[in-house]
Amino acid sequence: MDVGKAIIEGTREVFSTMLMVELEAGDPIEGKGGDVESNITSMLGLGKDIRGMLAVHCPGSVAKAITGTFLGMEVEEIDEDVKDAIGEIANMVAGNLKISFAENGKDIELAIPSSIIGTSFRTGGMFGAKRVAVPFTMNNETFLVELKYMDSE
Amino acid sequence: MGKNVLLVDDSSTMRKIVGRSLRQAGLDFDNIFEAADGIEALEVLENEHVDIVLSDINMPNMDGISFLREKQSRDNVKDIPVFMISTETGDDIIGEAKSLGALGAIKKPFTPDKVNEVLGPLM
Repeated sequence: MDVGKAIIEGTREVFSTMLMVELEAGDPIEGKGGDVESNITSMLGLGKDIRGMLAVHCPGSVAKAITGTFLGMEVEEIDEDVKDAIGEIANMVAGNLKISFAENGKDIELAIPSSIIGTSFRTGGMFGAKRVAVPFTMNNETFLVELKYMDSE
Repeated sequence: MGKNVLLVDDSSTMRKIVGRSLRQAGLDFDNIFEAADGIEALEVLENEHVDIVLSDINMPNMDGISFLREKQSRDNVKDIPVFMISTETGDDIIGEAKSLGALGAIKKPFTPDKVNEVLGPLM
């Protein structure tokens, strides 16, 4: 299974369907690298055949633009609405990845997303987990969708 | 006369978007009630006249499947139709929802047209 391609297709579908935004995707990054300066990270845990987490890392300006487009209003600060909106983006991207993995015989259970605001934090994963990250461009700024996972096989 | 709709989702963003999709779909409704989980949803059903419920599955406190199960056990609300709106699309979980009375499911992400297609016949 091409995980990078699944992240690109799943993320682009969420944005085109829910926000009417056609995202530009960069090349998938396997292993380390590609980190963006993030002010908000929304993540959710994955369980069953694929264990790990999916995270969406956004600069504040991108997070506010996504939330504003979602809600049809101007968003001036990173507040609970922004945390909720980016969490829901992560949730829907994970849902699409779940479908992609299911087509390859892997069942995933999704946890409930949570969001963190700030700049002085890092997200970790299980030791030995694979990492695939894809940068996306919206309004000439970059945000990152990152999957850290371990296959049950 | 329009219908009263109950939206059940732990995401306030998603409740707003579903509500907006109902309006954009041109469906005839009077009131949109909101609940953040199954517990709140049951409270709304006990206290308001609700014609249709749209519910997420993955929620804290009481998820969509537990909500359906509890609703089915209450004679005064068990016949209110429910559609699931969720990222969960697996046959097993949607099958379980249907076995507990859900009429169908709309996959997130969705368009207003999809909402209209599924809910239009009920409105």
